[in-house]
Amino acid sequence: MFDLQNVINDTRIRLCLDCGKCTVVCPVARYDPEFNPRRIVQEVLRQNGRGPMDEKIWSCISCNMCMERCNYNVKFTDFIRALRYKALAEGAEIQYSHGGAPQATMHIMAQRDIKQNRLNWLPKDIKLSKQCDTAFFIGCAPYFDILFSDLGVKTVEGSKGALRLLNQAQVPFTLLPNERCCGRDLLLSGDMEGFLALARSNVHEFSRRGIKNVITNCPECYYTLKVDYPKFLENWDINVMHITEIIAPLIESGKLALGSLKPVGAAALAPYKVTYHDPCTLGRYSRIFDQPRCILASIEGLEVVEMADNREKALCCGASPWAHCGAVNKQIQKERLAQAGATGANMLVTACPKCQIHLKCAQKSAENNDVCQIEIQDICTLAAQSLLPQEIS
Amino acid sequence: MYPRVLVFACNWGGWSCIETATNLGLHYPVSVKVVKVSCLSRVHVGLILKAFEFGASGVMLLGCEQGRCHFSADSEYIINEYEKARSILETLGIWKDRLVLAQLPAFDGRQFVMQVMKLIAEIERISTSKHARTVEPRPAQDIKVQLHL
Repeated sequence: MFDLQNVINDTRIRLCLDCGKCTVVCPVARYDPEFNPRRIVQEVLRQNGRGPMDEKIWSCISCNMCMERCNYNVKFTDFIRALRYKALAEGAEIQYSHGGAPQATMHIMAQRDIKQNRLNWLPKDIKLSKQCDTAFFIGCAPYFDILFSDLGVKTVEGSKGALRLLNQAQVPFTLLPNERCCGRDLLLSGDMEGFLALARSNVHEFSRRGIKNVITNCPECYYTLKVDYPKFLENWDINVMHITEIIAPLIESGKLALGSLKPVGAAALAPYKVTYHDPCTLGRYSRIFDQPRCILASIEGLEVVEMADNREKALCCGASPWAHCGAVNKQIQKERLAQAGATGANMLVTACPKCQIHLKCAQKSAENNDVCQIEIQDICTLAAQSLLPQEIS
Repeated sequence: MYPRVLVFACNWGGWSCIETATNLGLHYPVSVKVVKVSCLSRVHVGLILKAFEFGASGVMLLGCEQGRCHFSADSEYIINEYEKARSILETLGIWKDRLVLAQLPAFDGRQFVMQVMKLIAEIERISTSKHARTVEPRPAQDIKVQLHL
């Protein structure tokens, strides 16, 4: 499966000018001088793919900042992925974070005869449509909430918010009781077999239920289903949309209106200031920058302020595919949270459950209180909160 | 043919129960495999799920009696991980009762055998019910690579 010449051609690596702009903008290289995207490319080209793989290939967080800056559109993240695949095939070992629990969950999910109970959190007020060819893809949120319960993450709330928004907008959808993880983390860490097993199970599930459209609220699922599945699977003809791509046009055309935020409890924080953190997969990868901002701007009484690095230049949450997370990743997270704090916002809003987890993890593991403890919230949760009073009336 | 059960036994109370069972000549199926760990707080949800990923039908966490941990932290870590793993197994549809936490008094071999047989009976009940699920173990060389302690 691994053919270095193919990988080199596909990722345009030969066009690398050795200019080092990728390394200048790389958030990992800033804190870890040993990690150098330019040098990795040059060394692999010089050795023509032979020789031992550098340990450093696992440090890349796939934030795509390098490709954003590269003059010749060299696909460094895809190249790293291919190198990881090769390294794994040669017996390299991945240092899994969280004891490898996310990966083990994904591998179990990939087994054919699994029958999950993944919808036990579904509230009764959410209306599903039977006989509908549009599915809402929940992703791993139910698993994240169990695995990261220590951090107090509630990523399922984001899914609930997204479903309530769709209900309010009268977009029909159904849920798949046995959908699998999209497999992005396995793909990024070079575990092609695991990724393909999950992808095939999902395709089977979609075709069994006659699904033609998929809506997701997780940017990772969105990008994987939209861009990676067609690359690796034959006959993939499903239309994939992100929830913000559906809600934002409805708001702009006046078909859906968001109310004002009713702060939970007695403490009314007015005026409420939020800052939006662009997830890498939604922003740089999928170029969805304006829609989430449009949704936030339409919530009454909400002031949106931008961080120093935003949109294409947004700093990553320091995520890695649940592997090789260390001091460098924590530094990146700390920097991002400091940027959020510097805006004076009360809340950091993001659209990705993984960003939530990683940033909350940085806040939890903070030593000497040197990390900004800003509240972190999902955009769909926030937007759905502004819906609630209308629903009651 | 008994279902495959993996026992994570702590080096102190848990292991002493297994040794006593052997000394007393008590029988339990050969499909029960034991992994000795220095303390049950070494075991986390990732290891428990990996056991299931590689084809275990059930997992037992065998540790010291409540309040009698050889180290100071006692069972708070393992109870947290145990609850998480049970929730994950439930969501995965593998059934949470395939995982048990047995905190037995030291040298209680009989109790260990009874608990293991109870778990095996439970696994058999689950697998003959409507939630039946055959396990597809991953190849052995993967286990060597990934389950290195």
